[in-house]
Amino acid sequence: MGGGSRAAAHLGRFGGLVPAAVYFVLFFFVPFGLIVCFSFWHDFDYRVVHHWTLENYRYFIHQHVYLHTMWATLWMGIAATGITLALAFPFAYWLSRYVPGGLQKPLLVLVIVPFWTSYLLRMYSWLNTLGRKGLVNTALEKAGITDHPLTLLYSRWSVVVVLVYLYFPFAALTLYSSIDRFDWDQLRAAMDLGASPLRAIGRILVPQIRPGIITAVIFVFIPILGEYLPPQIIGGTSVPMLGNVIDNFQREALYARASAIALLIAAFVIVLLVLFRKSLSAKEAYGA
Amino acid sequence: MTEAQRGLTRKELLAAGAVGAAGVYFTGGRALAAGSPAVAGRMDGVTIAWLTWFDHFFPQQLAVTKKKTGISCHPKLAPSDSEIYTTIRQTGSQFDIAAMDALWVPKLHKDGYTDSFDLSSIGASKQLYSDARNIKYWKDGSNTMAFPNGWSTVNVYYNPKYVKTKPTSYDALLDPKYKKKIAYENQPENIVAIAGLATGAKQPFQQSVAQIKRSKEWMKKWKPNVLHLADQNTENINLAKDETVWIVLGNLGVDLRVKAAGGPLMKQAVPKEGLIGWFDGEQMVKKSKHKDVFAEFIDVTYSQTSYIAKNFIKNGRPMFNEKAYKLLVNQGYKHRADLFHYNNPELIFQSHIEGPSKNIQAVTDAFNEVFGG
Repeated sequence: MGGGSRAAAHLGRFGGLVPAAVYFVLFFFVPFGLIVCFSFWHDFDYRVVHHWTLENYRYFIHQHVYLHTMWATLWMGIAATGITLALAFPFAYWLSRYVPGGLQKPLLVLVIVPFWTSYLLRMYSWLNTLGRKGLVNTALEKAGITDHPLTLLYSRWSVVVVLVYLYFPFAALTLYSSIDRFDWDQLRAAMDLGASPLRAIGRILVPQIRPGIITAVIFVFIPILGEYLPPQIIGGTSVPMLGNVIDNFQREALYARASAIALLIAAFVIVLLVLFRKSLSAKEAYGA
Repeated sequence: MTEAQRGLTRKELLAAGAVGAAGVYFTGGRALAAGSPAVAGRMDGVTIAWLTWFDHFFPQQLAVTKKKTGISCHPKLAPSDSEIYTTIRQTGSQFDIAAMDALWVPKLHKDGYTDSFDLSSIGASKQLYSDARNIKYWKDGSNTMAFPNGWSTVNVYYNPKYVKTKPTSYDALLDPKYKKKIAYENQPENIVAIAGLATGAKQPFQQSVAQIKRSKEWMKKWKPNVLHLADQNTENINLAKDETVWIVLGNLGVDLRVKAAGGPLMKQAVPKEGLIGWFDGEQMVKKSKHKDVFAEFIDVTYSQTSYIAKNFIKNGRPMFNEKAYKLLVNQGYKHRADLFHYNNPELIFQSHIEGPSKNIQAVTDAFNEVFGG
């Protein structure tokens, strides 16, 4: 085979990848590369000076306060992801198993209805829900459960509640699509053979929808690591997450500092994805 | 599925895509481009791009300007002075006018991103207070670097029902009895400046590294008392309204806004160390392609006295427009305007004026090391 025909064969084989490759290079690798470069440059007088340095990374590693923020971010991410999945799983199970086919789609639409309103607006609505004169406090007082308003806002748990609210649809949809493909006869067979419902779910259903569960964890936990608005609006000064630190550097045009900490989060996310990848084959992930 | 069953081979699909893309470019693409503000402006009057804050204009006000001058305006909301600075620096001619605060204006000008202009050649300048026409920080020979808009000091407001002793010093805000009872806005430079005032810095926006260290220690003591650093000051009005917080640091008029929201009486205190403050204005971007219409646009937009007065009522901080003050008086708002010191613009020049820091990294590091952990 001549050189020309080999090139033509390669073109025929890989040519179709060109649009995707161009897309990835332009919209992923170039921006990501810029952020990497920024993180190794330094800020001076509201501009990024192209002088290579490890100073930004050194700064974050030596400031113990950021380690504390990192743990707080992880803690909130884990708590919010756990609660979100704990709520989304029974919902998806109920929807898939007990709701008649014709009603499933309308109910799924209801799950994504919050996406039709502004993210910021949804966040601010929680101020009116959890505030001292908000919906929850008013209901508690009217029901005679409390005689004075409780401080529900500006705590870690209020941020976790809002994160659960924000990410529930992602988990519910992912789990539903996974559970919906499950063959319920297997569960019935397990129970016929003496397994309790919970044991049957744990031994038969959960292992088979593991890719869906892992995907739900990825969809919920990873974006939470970069969140900054819920802690900013709902959390008050005692609940900063790493996203807030980035936001503060960004506000003051300290892009090198902001890039370094963003990459530290990215590195952590990549490690997580690799770990998840090991426990999830592509075949399983795509439901083959 | 075979290639034949697909109907189109991959090669044919790519070719069709390329032809389609070219078609879109030569027909629809050009039409779309013609619909973009900049091009539409050239075809039918002028469209200027204005990087500004939401409280600098009303859409109806811009509609009047367009009707009178044919100049359309595409405002883009600005996040902060430092981000306006970097945006103007990086976008060249994309913006024609940029709003900015106080000492940021001379920085942008000195760095070569704006042009000064003859303020007296703009008719609307005759409506300004003389203090505003002669802002020394904005002078460039006989020219001015920005057209003045509004101003405010950052004051301490307290709820006398809970705060029995008027806080006449920033150190009073460290009292443990105010734990989680104070709110301010999430503005790192301003917070470090206030901490600087509290710890004796004479130029709170230009602190040395040693002064920033002292400010950091002060912020550490203050943090337990700060419940919330808001993105929008309306959040703090609500917190004061339902008495979640007892002390709010904010622009002039927090007391009136809390009352208007149905909240308790709030009183104002002026700490003995002084106040920080800001005033802002509109600058002509050096690389703007529409510098020839800057004066006309500013003149007509800032001559609409009724909108300037309405702006004061809605957004609650004094404007530099004296004619609008007279209109407010005629409309029965004198008491309200006087509570905001609208008629005393000289007050802002007695405060510590906001501006870029020479140690911005140290300032933000200090802030994040306290409030980011």
